[in-house]
Amino acid sequence: MRPSKFQRKNRVANTIPTVSMGDIAFLLLIFFMATTIFRLDSGLQVVLPSAESTENPGRERVASIWIDRDGRISINDRFVAASDVEGIVITTILGKPDAIVALNADEHAPYGIVSDVIEALKKANAARLSFTSEREERAVPPRPSP
Amino acid sequence: MSDLAFLLLIFFVVTTTFAIEEGIPLALPGRSSSSTRVDASDVLEIHALAGGRVEAQGQSIGVTNVRRLVEQALAANPDLIVLLTAQRSAEYGLMVDVLDEIKLANCRRISLKTVE
Repeated sequence: MRPSKFQRKNRVANTIPTVSMGDIAFLLLIFFMATTIFRLDSGLQVVLPSAESTENPGRERVASIWIDRDGRISINDRFVAASDVEGIVITTILGKPDAIVALNADEHAPYGIVSDVIEALKKANAARLSFTSEREERAVPPRPSP
Repeated sequence: MSDLAFLLLIFFVVTTTFAIEEGIPLALPGRSSSSTRVDASDVLEIHALAGGRVEAQGQSIGVTNVRRLVEQALAANPDLIVLLTAQRSAEYGLMVDVLDEIKLANCRRISLKTVE
Protein backbone atom coordinates (compact mmCIF):
# COMPACT_ATOMS: atom_id res chain seq x y z
CA MET A 1 0.00 0.00 0.00
CA ARG A 2 1.17 3.47 -0.86
CA PRO A 3 1.95 5.67 2.18
CA SER A 4 -0.66 8.32 2.90
CA LYS A 5 -0.02 11.84 1.70
CA PHE A 6 -0.34 13.18 5.20
CA GLN A 7 1.84 10.74 6.99
CA ARG A 8 4.87 12.27 8.59
CA LYS A 9 8.16 11.12 7.35
CA ASN A 10 10.27 12.00 10.37
CA ARG A 11 8.97 12.49 13.93
CA VAL A 12 10.31 14.93 16.48
CA ALA A 13 11.49 13.23 19.60
CA ASN A 14 8.81 13.65 22.31
CA THR A 15 11.09 14.49 25.22
CA ILE A 16 11.22 17.72 27.22
CA PRO A 17 14.56 19.41 26.75
CA THR A 18 16.13 19.70 30.19
CA VAL A 19 19.44 21.11 29.13
CA SER A 20 18.56 24.68 30.12
CA MET A 21 17.10 23.64 33.49
CA GLY A 22 20.33 24.34 35.35
CA ASP A 23 20.56 27.76 33.72
CA ILE A 24 17.04 28.63 34.87
CA ALA A 25 17.80 27.40 38.38
CA PHE A 26 20.95 29.48 38.56
CA LEU A 27 19.13 32.53 37.24
CA LEU A 28 16.49 32.22 39.96
CA LEU A 29 19.20 31.53 42.51
CA ILE A 30 21.05 34.70 41.59
CA PHE A 31 17.77 36.66 41.75
CA PHE A 32 17.00 35.46 45.27
CA MET A 33 20.59 35.96 46.43
CA ALA A 34 20.54 39.51 45.13
CA THR A 35 17.18 40.44 46.60
CA THR A 36 17.51 38.76 49.99
CA ILE A 37 17.86 41.24 52.82
CA PHE A 38 18.92 39.90 56.18
CA ARG A 39 17.21 41.99 58.81
CA LEU A 40 19.65 44.01 60.81
CA ASP A 41 19.27 44.29 64.51
CA SER A 42 18.64 47.84 65.52
CA GLY A 43 20.10 47.38 68.98
CA LEU A 44 16.81 48.23 70.61
CA GLN A 45 14.22 45.73 71.72
CA VAL A 46 10.99 47.02 70.25
CA VAL A 47 7.61 45.33 70.32
CA LEU A 48 5.61 47.12 67.69
CA PRO A 49 1.94 47.85 68.26
CA SER A 50 -0.54 46.11 66.01
CA ALA A 51 -3.10 47.86 63.86
CA GLU A 52 -5.59 46.98 61.14
CA SER A 53 -5.40 50.11 58.97
CA THR A 54 -1.74 49.68 58.01
CA GLU A 55 -0.42 50.60 54.59
CA ASN A 56 2.86 49.97 52.88
CA PRO A 57 4.68 53.31 52.86
CA GLY A 58 6.78 52.39 49.84
CA ARG A 59 10.45 52.18 49.15
CA GLU A 60 11.32 55.87 49.38
CA ARG A 61 11.24 55.70 53.18
CA VAL A 62 14.59 56.99 54.30
CA ALA A 63 14.75 57.41 58.03
CA SER A 64 13.73 54.99 60.71
CA ILE A 65 13.42 56.26 64.22
CA TRP A 66 13.35 53.61 66.95
CA ILE A 67 12.00 54.20 70.43
CA ASP A 68 12.11 51.44 73.01
CA ARG A 69 9.89 50.97 76.04
CA ASP A 70 12.23 52.99 78.26
CA GLY A 71 12.01 55.96 75.91
CA ARG A 72 15.49 55.63 74.41
CA ILE A 73 15.66 56.97 70.86
CA SER A 74 17.82 55.44 68.13
CA ILE A 75 18.29 56.75 64.59
CA ASN A 76 20.44 54.84 62.08
CA ASP A 77 21.68 52.48 64.83
CA ARG A 78 22.88 55.32 67.04
CA PHE A 79 21.40 56.45 70.31
CA VAL A 80 20.38 60.09 70.20
CA ALA A 81 18.85 62.56 72.62
CA ALA A 82 15.36 63.89 71.95
CA SER A 83 16.80 67.38 71.40
CA ASP A 84 19.09 66.10 68.60
CA VAL A 85 16.33 64.45 66.56
CA GLU A 86 15.45 67.62 64.65
CA GLY A 87 18.99 68.25 63.39
CA ILE A 88 19.57 64.62 62.40
CA VAL A 89 16.25 64.39 60.54
CA ILE A 90 16.95 67.66 58.69
CA THR A 91 20.28 66.32 57.37
CA THR A 92 18.80 62.90 56.57
CA ILE A 93 15.87 64.10 54.48
CA LEU A 94 17.78 66.95 52.83
CA GLY A 95 16.79 67.05 49.16
CA LYS A 96 14.17 64.34 49.57
CA PRO A 97 10.86 66.17 49.93
CA ASP A 98 8.80 62.97 49.62
CA ALA A 99 10.71 61.17 52.33
CA ILE A 100 8.69 59.18 54.81
CA VAL A 101 9.96 58.91 58.34
CA ALA A 102 9.03 55.57 59.88
CA LEU A 103 8.49 55.73 63.61
CA ASN A 104 9.13 52.32 65.15
CA ALA A 105 8.10 52.81 68.74
CA ASP A 106 7.48 50.14 71.32
CA GLU A 107 3.83 49.77 72.25
CA HIS A 108 4.70 50.38 75.91
CA ALA A 109 6.78 53.49 75.21
CA PRO A 110 5.52 56.58 77.00
CA TYR A 111 3.63 58.74 74.52
CA GLY A 112 5.40 61.87 75.79
CA ILE A 113 8.68 60.81 74.16
CA VAL A 114 6.88 59.93 70.92
CA SER A 115 5.17 63.31 71.04
CA ASP A 116 8.53 65.07 71.44
CA VAL A 117 9.84 63.23 68.36
CA ILE A 118 6.72 64.17 66.36
CA GLU A 119 7.23 67.82 67.35
CA ALA A 120 10.87 67.60 66.24
CA LEU A 121 9.73 66.14 62.89
CA LYS A 122 7.29 69.01 62.43
CA LYS A 123 10.09 71.51 63.06
CA ALA A 124 12.33 69.63 60.61
CA ASN A 125 9.55 69.90 57.99
CA ALA A 126 9.36 66.10 57.73
CA ALA A 127 5.68 66.10 56.88
CA ARG A 128 5.23 62.43 56.04
CA LEU A 129 5.24 60.13 58.99
CA SER A 130 4.36 56.47 59.35
CA PHE A 131 3.62 54.75 62.64
CA THR A 132 5.12 51.34 61.95
CA SER A 133 2.94 48.57 63.30
CA GLU A 134 2.35 44.89 62.86
CA ARG A 135 -0.55 44.06 60.59
CA GLU A 136 -3.49 42.82 62.57
CA GLU A 137 -5.95 40.70 60.64
CA ARG A 138 -9.32 42.28 60.30
CA ALA A 139 -11.80 40.76 62.69
CA VAL A 140 -14.27 38.53 60.90
CA PRO A 141 -17.80 39.37 61.99
CA PRO A 142 -19.41 36.44 63.80
CA ARG A 143 -21.55 34.30 61.59
CA PRO A 144 -25.25 34.66 62.41
CA SER A 145 -26.54 31.52 64.05
CA PRO A 146 -29.17 29.71 61.98
CA MET B 1 25.43 20.81 39.12
CA SER B 2 21.80 21.74 38.60
CA ASP B 3 20.88 19.62 41.63
CA LEU B 4 23.12 21.80 43.73
CA ALA B 5 21.68 24.93 42.18
CA PHE B 6 18.14 23.77 42.92
CA LEU B 7 19.09 22.94 46.48
CA LEU B 8 20.47 26.43 47.02
CA LEU B 9 17.48 27.90 45.20
CA ILE B 10 15.02 26.14 47.49
CA PHE B 11 17.02 27.29 50.52
CA PHE B 12 16.82 30.92 49.44
CA VAL B 13 13.14 30.67 48.45
CA VAL B 14 12.29 29.32 51.90
CA THR B 15 14.46 31.68 53.92
CA THR B 16 13.77 34.91 52.03
CA THR B 17 11.63 37.41 53.86
CA PHE B 18 10.96 40.63 52.07
CA ALA B 19 11.49 43.43 54.54
CA ILE B 20 8.21 45.23 54.16
CA GLU B 21 7.35 47.43 57.08
CA GLU B 22 3.82 48.58 57.20
CA GLY B 23 2.50 51.45 59.19
CA ILE B 24 -0.22 54.00 59.70
CA PRO B 25 0.65 56.98 57.49
CA LEU B 26 0.03 60.49 58.72
CA ALA B 27 0.80 63.84 57.11
CA LEU B 28 2.06 66.33 59.64
CA PRO B 29 1.64 70.07 59.36
CA GLY B 30 4.98 71.61 58.46
CA ARG B 31 6.80 74.39 60.22
CA SER B 32 5.48 76.98 57.79
CA SER B 33 1.81 76.06 57.97
CA SER B 34 -0.19 78.27 60.27
CA SER B 35 -2.84 77.09 62.64
CA THR B 36 -6.40 77.17 61.36
CA ARG B 37 -9.52 78.03 63.25
CA VAL B 38 -12.27 75.45 63.18
CA ASP B 39 -15.80 75.47 64.46
CA ALA B 40 -16.08 73.77 67.84
CA SER B 41 -19.09 71.81 66.61
CA ASP B 42 -16.91 70.15 63.94
CA VAL B 43 -14.52 68.72 66.50
CA LEU B 44 -14.84 65.39 68.26
CA GLU B 45 -12.26 65.08 70.99
CA ILE B 46 -11.08 61.65 72.06
CA HIS B 47 -8.74 61.33 75.03
CA ALA B 48 -6.16 58.56 75.35
CA LEU B 49 -5.19 58.54 79.00
CA ALA B 50 -2.64 56.81 81.19
CA GLY B 51 -3.73 53.40 82.42
CA GLY B 52 -5.35 52.49 79.11
CA ARG B 53 -8.46 54.63 79.58
CA VAL B 54 -10.18 56.20 76.58
CA GLU B 55 -12.62 59.04 77.09
CA ALA B 56 -14.88 60.94 74.72
CA GLN B 57 -17.67 63.41 75.32
CA GLY B 58 -17.02 63.35 79.04
CA GLN B 59 -17.46 59.65 79.54
CA SER B 60 -15.17 56.66 79.56
CA ILE B 61 -15.40 54.47 76.47
CA GLY B 62 -13.35 51.47 75.45
CA VAL B 63 -11.00 51.39 72.47
CA THR B 64 -13.47 49.10 70.70
CA ASN B 65 -16.23 51.72 70.82
CA VAL B 66 -14.14 54.47 69.22
CA ARG B 67 -14.82 53.27 65.69
CA ARG B 68 -18.61 53.27 66.10
CA LEU B 69 -18.57 56.65 67.81
CA VAL B 70 -16.52 58.24 65.01
CA GLU B 71 -18.66 56.58 62.33
CA GLN B 72 -21.84 57.96 63.91
CA ALA B 73 -20.33 61.43 64.29
CA LEU B 74 -19.07 61.35 60.68
CA ALA B 75 -22.52 60.37 59.42
CA ALA B 76 -24.01 63.34 61.27
CA ASN B 77 -21.28 65.77 60.21
CA PRO B 78 -19.07 64.96 57.18
CA ASP B 79 -16.73 67.88 58.01
CA LEU B 80 -15.82 66.30 61.32
CA ILE B 81 -12.31 66.67 62.67
CA VAL B 82 -11.25 64.14 65.27
CA LEU B 83 -8.91 65.58 67.86
CA LEU B 84 -6.91 62.80 69.48
CA THR B 85 -5.62 64.10 72.78
CA ALA B 86 -3.04 61.83 74.36
CA GLN B 87 -1.54 62.15 77.79
CA ARG B 88 2.25 62.21 77.95
CA SER B 89 2.22 59.35 80.42
CA ALA B 90 -0.13 57.24 78.28
CA GLU B 91 1.26 54.25 76.44
CA TYR B 92 2.13 54.75 72.78
CA GLY B 93 0.32 51.50 71.94
CA LEU B 94 -2.98 52.89 73.22
CA MET B 95 -2.61 55.98 71.06
CA VAL B 96 -1.92 53.78 68.00
CA ASP B 97 -4.96 51.63 68.83
CA VAL B 98 -7.22 54.69 68.99
CA LEU B 99 -5.66 56.19 65.84
CA ASP B 100 -6.21 52.85 64.08
CA GLU B 101 -9.89 52.84 65.06
CA ILE B 102 -10.30 56.44 63.86
CA LYS B 103 -8.68 55.52 60.52
CA LEU B 104 -10.89 52.44 60.21
CA ALA B 105 -13.93 54.69 60.63
CA ASN B 106 -12.77 56.41 57.41
CA CYS B 107 -12.01 59.68 59.13
CA ARG B 108 -9.44 61.62 57.10
CA ARG B 109 -9.15 64.77 59.23
CA ILE B 110 -7.28 63.92 62.37
CA SER B 111 -5.49 66.23 64.75
CA LEU B 112 -3.01 65.14 67.40
CA LYS B 113 -2.61 66.92 70.69
CA THR B 114 -0.52 66.13 73.74
CA VAL B 115 -1.40 67.07 77.29
CA GLU B 116 0.32 66.58 80.64
